Order: sequence, then structure tokens, then C-alpha cells
Amino acid sequence: MNESLQLLNGAIHLVLPETVLLATVCIIFFAASFLVSERGEAPEGLRHRWGMLSLLALLIAGWIGWHAPEVPHSTGPFVADGLTLFIRGLTIAVGAILVLLHWNQADDARSAESHACLLAILAGVNLVAAANDLVGMFVALELISIPTYLFLLLPRRDAPAQEATLKYFLLSIFSSAIVLFGMSYLYGATGTTNLMAIHQAFAGGSHLPHNALVAVATVMLIAGLSFRLAAVPFHFYAPDVFQGAQPSAAAMLSIIPKIAGFVALLRLMVPAAAGESAMHSWMMTPTATNLLWWLAVITMFTGNLMAFVQTDVRRLLAFSSVSHAGYMMVGLVVGMQASQQVSGIGALLFYLVAYGVMTLGAFAVLIAAARTNRRIESLDDLAGLSRTKPALALVLSVFLFSLSGLPPTVGFLGKFNLFFAAWSQGSESSRLLACLLAVNAAIGAWYYLKMIGVMYLRDPVDRSEDVRPMETPSVVAAAVCAVGTIGLFFVPGPLWSHIQLLVQ
Amino acid sequence: MPSLLVILIFLPAAAAAMLLLLDAKAPPVRARWFALLATIATFLVSLGIASQFYSVQRTPPSVAGPVHPHLELKHTWMTLVAATEDKPAINLEFYLGLDGISLSMVLLTTLLTISAVLVSWTAISDRPAEFYASILILESGLIGVFCAFDVLLFYVFFEFTLIPLFFMVGIWGGPLRRYAAGKFFIYTFAGSVVTLLGLIWLSLETYQDSIVQGTPLSTPLSIPAIAAQLAAHGLPVETQIILFLMIAAGFMIKVPLFPFHTWLPLAHVEAPTAGSVLLAGVLLKLGSYGFLRLALPMLPKACEQVGVPLIGTLSVIGIVYGSFCALAQNDIKKLVAYSSVAHLGFCMLGLFSLQPEGINGGILQMINHGLSTGALFCIVGMFYERYHTRQLTELGGLASRMPLLAVAMVYTSFASIGLPGLNGFVGEVLSLMGMFKRDPILAIIGATGVVLGAWYLLGVLQKAFFGPLQEPPHHGHEPIPDLNAREMLALAPLLAMCLWLGLFPQPVLDLIRPDVESLTRLYGHTQASRVLTAAQSPVINTPATALASVAPETDQ
Repeated sequence: MNESLQLLNGAIHLVLPETVLLATVCIIFFAASFLVSERGEAPEGLRHRWGMLSLLALLIAGWIGWHAPEVPHSTGPFVADGLTLFIRGLTIAVGAILVLLHWNQADDARSAESHACLLAILAGVNLVAAANDLVGMFVALELISIPTYLFLLLPRRDAPAQEATLKYFLLSIFSSAIVLFGMSYLYGATGTTNLMAIHQAFAGGSHLPHNALVAVATVMLIAGLSFRLAAVPFHFYAPDVFQGAQPSAAAMLSIIPKIAGFVALLRLMVPAAAGESAMHSWMMTPTATNLLWWLAVITMFTGNLMAFVQTDVRRLLAFSSVSHAGYMMVGLVVGMQASQQVSGIGALLFYLVAYGVMTLGAFAVLIAAARTNRRIESLDDLAGLSRTKPALALVLSVFLFSLSGLPPTVGFLGKFNLFFAAWSQGSESSRLLACLLAVNAAIGAWYYLKMIGVMYLRDPVDRSEDVRPMETPSVVAAAVCAVGTIGLFFVPGPLWSHIQLLVQ
Repeated sequence: MPSLLVILIFLPAAAAAMLLLLDAKAPPVRARWFALLATIATFLVSLGIASQFYSVQRTPPSVAGPVHPHLELKHTWMTLVAATEDKPAINLEFYLGLDGISLSMVLLTTLLTISAVLVSWTAISDRPAEFYASILILESGLIGVFCAFDVLLFYVFFEFTLIPLFFMVGIWGGPLRRYAAGKFFIYTFAGSVVTLLGLIWLSLETYQDSIVQGTPLSTPLSIPAIAAQLAAHGLPVETQIILFLMIAAGFMIKVPLFPFHTWLPLAHVEAPTAGSVLLAGVLLKLGSYGFLRLALPMLPKACEQVGVPLIGTLSVIGIVYGSFCALAQNDIKKLVAYSSVAHLGFCMLGLFSLQPEGINGGILQMINHGLSTGALFCIVGMFYERYHTRQLTELGGLASRMPLLAVAMVYTSFASIGLPGLNGFVGEVLSLMGMFKRDPILAIIGATGVVLGAWYLLGVLQKAFFGPLQEPPHHGHEPIPDLNAREMLALAPLLAMCLWLGLFPQPVLDLIRPDVESLTRLYGHTQASRVLTAAQSPVINTPATALASVAPETDQ
């Protein structure tokens, strides 16, 4: 007992940024109860303070994280290897944009709790990336899930939001149970919960994964984590939740669970210590690869074909998020196989960044373009946006072109890297995967184009002057994302070479 | 100073950005003048590059690889795979360059864009700043395609050209514009995604080969490097054929060849005049240019075994079918659109003869079609602006109303038909001559297209411009004016070029000859160089002798 506590104390310096975030969560929860009256009345403009506080916390966490040393080998509960640091940087950047998006989405009284939940979610993602232990990883995953329920419900408490939250809640605990089930079998097979030790046990080759226990564990873990990726057939919540929840919550759901899911899969599959390749990881059973291959294909096709028929922007973006999960799984499948020119996992990590920038940008525009009495819901609400708000329409079309993978945007480079990784892998099955990816990119282009077409080619439905002031925070977020989307196309070098160092 | 190349590519884009920043309520005339000045400046820059091009001594074709940029500029974009001990890094590059072929296409682009701006002067009154910005962005993309010597960069520019044209058709087009824009976009995008896969496969395969051979390429995506490697060690025939079909997918749609042409008439009819001019004049050439740049030099066996029968047959069908479709049209713009299908058929026929004269002819045909069809679309746009109809049945005897416009139309039609002395003739004859050597039957069937072309274009002239005067009843009572100075300025350079290229094609042939020659060396035409050098003597400058000099006597 004592020894464990010492271990934990020794490891706390590895997760200092997360500690900062969680401390801020506590402060906000504590302070908010004094500032909001019992009847839920709050001083006007209180939400700005919570937003600033969240940004400040992220800034401090980012600053600490920037100076944090790399500790790739650890026997304790946490590691801080290159992947951890990379994901931490990504989460904090994404988190800052999400804070901007969420700025005015919750009213003054409930803003505190929802901002705190957002910070807790971000800390959870970082902890997943830092976890070196099955239990720690599960706790971190729950640290994402539980605040998410609140985050979905707090800003809006009408019936659709309740339905969305309930749906998400039920499916989420179901998937958590499946993950836990898989982890327990893994523990049964190896006798330890330490990820490093698990990898060593398998790398030794004493009992290679023909074990039935391991097979069950593999399938269960993939299934449970696929819920977070919104991979088919675990995607059913996505359209309803995106539709029912506040747009900022939908933006969060489109990227944050994906980061968490992929990093958890990577942690489980690839040994934390660099040097040992994915070849030796225990999930490298042909079953796991096949399973992920099929999941990727089905996810891409379902996502794109379903998005094709949507008339609601939020549902469309939900299915688009599903299809992008499929693209990224291509990178995962390819990355798990034998050596290749371009690492599939590297392509996956690059795509995560690219997808984060473009999807958050798209949601930022949807939030900024909302009219006084009406949010952007159906495609018709976007009609003629190029006339009423030309700048927003232009920026949104940049994001949509990026999502469909057209140059000169980062989405093109992301898809290109995935193509290249899959094709250079060399085996028949991964080349087929690359072809299917290409087909899906073409299908996907259609509905993104449809949105652009609606904005530019149709006349606005509602022609009345809109007096609503610009939603400054989300405009700022959209601008940042637009710069990222185009800038990362022209100067991908630093990011890409950093990722290459991680996956080598 | 190769940075002129960068200026050339980004000058129009920068001008477009400034146009978009222009106050939306500014008078439209400001946007027009700004766009006009920008396109003229771009044209001047391209002339400057041309003079630079001529001032540098060219590498003789016997030394140069199959693709050899004459001017070049490299800058590393992204290191895809870092270097290891046994392999050099895989770099993506901003690899810009110019050879004779691309220089001629760039000049065509910059010239046509000026006309495109001039013809939309009064036709576009809705959101003019954005319209001209689209034209300029499109120009940037087009120049970029012709200057790109990196596979990926080529593809990036190739795809990028879709975006501005999509908006041009979709916002400023005719009644079916949304459908036309969507169809155009999806069609070409779907094809080019397959092309991208083919290109990735090609470069990886070449890279693997180069590693096996012990001379790993340091830039496996640069087009000259790939072509040189493949010229030394070709891929197996089966691989070449699959790669050829994949790469051809996007380009066949873009050209467009026969079964894939359905998007074209629709897009042309719905596009605004400037869109049609650029679409027919330059955008379609991206397809044939793609074949010329990527398929012919890299996959010689596949081109011989599959390319000639497949593309040859499809082009011939396109020529005949396109001509008959044109014959059946009542809408003049649609008629010209179908005639494009036929003319591009000649061009592809020339390229896939794989003979020096055929390829020369194909490239000339690309330029000629750009000039004459560009001019035809300008003219169609001009009288549509006057009468608001393009239906042949509603028009007749307009020569008496608008003599100048009639003269221009007759002249352009003759150029397009291929009357000797005007440009169309040289290209068509050279293409057919090349194909005749490769496959006489295809050439003979293709040649009927010349007759059919005369038929439908003369039909238009006869119906609309001569005979009894007939005007649409609802055009109003104001007198219909003839060509004004602006319209003449838009047409004059194109028409002058038609005449000049018809009488003196030799400078252009000289410009592209070294590139064609180094390309056809792959197909066993090394003798051509000797005969062709004779053509440089200044005495030989009339069409007839120029033609004779291009045709190598292969039996020697």
C-alpha cells in the first residue's frame, strides 16, 4: 500500500498539466456556487469570467507541458513519452478552441459548470495518453465520459438535449462496460495491469496471442473503444446527439472522443517505449487486423452514404465525423502491419490534427452564423449565406473543401498521407483499402459540395436584416482554424517531422 | 531569375485576393479594370519568362531525359519519410519548371484570360469582384498545372482548378447552373481521385525499383526523375497497363473522350462566356497535357499496347459522334461544345500516334483549339448578349445587321474547320499524318471529321449569318449594335494568332520540338532529330515546307 502511494507520488510530476486543469475544475465548481444564487440567477457577463479562467488554465497547462521532460520508461502509473506530449499539445490546443466555441453557448448561471466539465474532459484525454496501467486508463476514460454527460445537458435542458444526453449516457456506460470486460480478460491472460509489463509478456513470446482469452480481450477492447471513435456499428448515437446537443458540445464530440479512442488503442497496441515496433504488440493477431479492416471499410461507407441523404447540417456533420473515423482507422490498420515507407500511425496522427482543425472550424462558423432567433439547423438555414455573411461563407467553404480533401487545404495532405501509407504498405488488402478510401473521398466530396452549393448558389430564405452582433469568440476560433487549415497545407514540415520522430 | 515563375503563378491569385477585399459596394467598373490590368500584367510576366526561356541554351534531346524542364525552381515542401542509412528521404517538392510544351500552354492561358475578362465586361453585373477573382484564381491554377514538375504538385493544381470553375458555373451560369456545376465537379473529381491513386502507385513502384537497382531516387515524386528512371528500367507490361488505365481515368474525363464527355456540353451551355472560353480553351487541355506529361513518357509499353487501340478508338468515335451531335444541335453554344469533343479527338489521335509529327500535331491542335474555340465562344457570347437567344431557328441573315461580327465568325469558323492558311489545318494534318503511320484505318475514319466539321460550322454560318434576315421577335426595338472596340480587342489577339500560326507554325514547332523529340526517343524515333534540325534553316517558313520537314523519313 505504502509502496503504491510512493509510486503515485513519484509519478505526479508526469501529469502536472492535468493537475493544473483538474485544480481549476475544483476552483470553478467551488467558486461558482457563491456567485450564482439559489434560484439560478447570476450577474450579467459572468460567463466571460469563466471563459477567461478556462483559457488561463489551458495556457498554464500548455506552458508546463511545453517544458515537461520526456520520460519514456516508467514502471509507475504514468508515462510521458513523445506520444503523450504530442496528444497533450493537441488536446490543449483543441481545448482552447472549444472554450472559445463554448463561450456564449451556456447562460451565465450554468457557464461555470459546463466550462469546468470541458476542462475535466481535456484532462481525461491527456491522462489516457499518459496512462501506463489498465486501471489508470479506464479511470481516465471515465473522466472523459462522466463530465461529457453534464456537458451535453447543462447548456440546454430542453427535450432534444435530454434525449441526446440520455442516449449518449446509456451507450457510453455500455461501452465502458465492454472495455472493462476486455481489460479484465487481458489481466487474466497476463496477470498484470501494467501496460509495459503486458507488452513485455507478449514480446517474450512465451505465450503468444493464440490464447482465447486474448482474442476475446482484443475484440472487446476494439468494440468498446469504437464507440468513442464513432465507428460503425457503434455510431448510432452520433447523429441524434449532434442534432440534440448544443453546437459547441457537438464540436467537442466530433473530435475529443476520437483523440481519446485512438490514443487508447495506440497505447494498448504499441509498447510505450519507442524502439519496439508495432509488430510485437499483442493485438497483432490476424483477427484484430481483419476486424479493424472491416470496421474501417464499413465505417467509411456508412458514414459517407448516410451523410449523402441528410438535410440537417448537424446530422450531416455527425455522419461526416463517422466517415472521418473510418479514414483514420485506415491509418491504424495499415500502421499495425509490417514495415512500410510511411507509417500509417503517423498518417493517423497527422489526420487527427487536420480533422481537429477543420471540423472545429466548421462548427465555429455554424455558431457564428446563427441568427438572433434561429440557430443553423437544416441546410436551408445555410442558403445564401454568401450574400448575408460573405466572410463566414468563404471560411466555411475552406473547411468544407478541406473535409472533402481538396487542395490547398490540410485535409488534402491528410488524405494523401493516408493513401500513401496504405498504398506503400504493399499488401493486397491494404491497397484495396487505399482504393476504397479514394472511392469514399469522391462520395464524400458530393455532400460537402452540396453544402457549399447551398451557401453560394441559393438565395437566402430569410432576408430580414440581422441585428445580432457578431459572436466574437467563435469568429476568432474560425479564423484560427482557417489559418491552420491553409497554413498546415503550405508548411506541413514541422508537424510532420515531429510525428515521424514519434512513430519511428 | 527563375523566381519569375513564382510571380507568374501567384500574381493572379494575389490580385484575386485583393479583388475579394475590395469593398462590395464599389462600382463594378473598378473590379473590371483591376482584373484587366492584372491579367495583362500576368501576360507580360509570361512574355518575360518566354524571353528568359529563349535566352538559355537548351539541353540537346539526346542528353535530356524524356521529361526535361528547361527552367526550373525547387523548394522542399515536406519530407514524407526521413532518410535512413540505406534509403534517401522521400521529399515532396515545390518543383516548378518550364519546357517548350508548358511554355506554349502558359502563353495560351495568359492570352485567353485577357479575352475572358474583356468578354465578361458587361455580361457580368452580379457580384463582379467575385467573378473576376474566380477567373484570376483559375488562371493561377492553370498556370500552376503547366509549371508543375512534381507529381503531387501537379495533382494539387489540377484539382485546384475545379474550385473556381465550379463557382463560375454555379453562380453566374444559365438556368441549369447548379446541376451543371455539380455534375462537372463530381465527374472530374471522381476521375482524378483514381488518377491520384495511380500516380502514387507509379511513384512508389518506381522508387522500389530504383532501390533494387541500387540507385535510389532522392525525389521519388519529381516527374523528370521518375521518367528518367523508367526510361532506364521500364516497369513490367502488366503493371504499366493497370497504371495507365488508372492514370488515364481522370484525364479521359477531363479531355473528354467519348463515353465520358457528357458533362461537357452541359457545363459549356450553362457556364458564363468567360467560363466557357477558359473551359474550352485551357481546362480541357489539362487532360491531354496530363497524358503528354505523365502517361506517354512513363508508360511507353502500355501506351503502345493499350493506349493506341483504346484511346485511338475512343478519339475516333469522339470525332465522328461529336461531329454528328454538333450537326443536330439548335443551340449554337452546344454545337460549339460538341465540336470541342471532336477537335480534342484529333488532338488525342495525334498524341497517341506516338510519332513525332503526330505529337507535334497534337500539341499544335491543343493550342489551335484553344484559340479558335475560345474565339468562337467569345463570339457566341457576344451575340447572346445582344439577342438573348442562341437558337439557330430564331436567327438568320445577321451579316447585314452586324457585318464585323459576321466577319469574325466566318474567319473563326474557317480556322476551326481547318482551312489551309489558318491554324486548324496544320494541327489536324500533322495529327492525322502521325496516326496514319500508326494505324491507317483510325486515321481515315478520323479524317471524315474534317468534312463533318466543315458541314456543321458552315451550316451555322449559312443559317444565322446569311440568307433572309430573321431576328428573335422579343429582343426589343433598340438597334442592335455591331462589335464595339472592347469586343474587337477581345477577339483581335486570338484571330491574329490563328492567322500567324496558320502561316508560320514553325516557331511553335521549334519551341516544342526538343521536348517531343526526347519523348519520342522512347518509342524508337531517334532519326527525327537529324531531319528536324534542317527545319531550323530560316528559308523554310511556309506551312507546306514546314510540314514536310517535320515528317521524318523513317525508312532512311
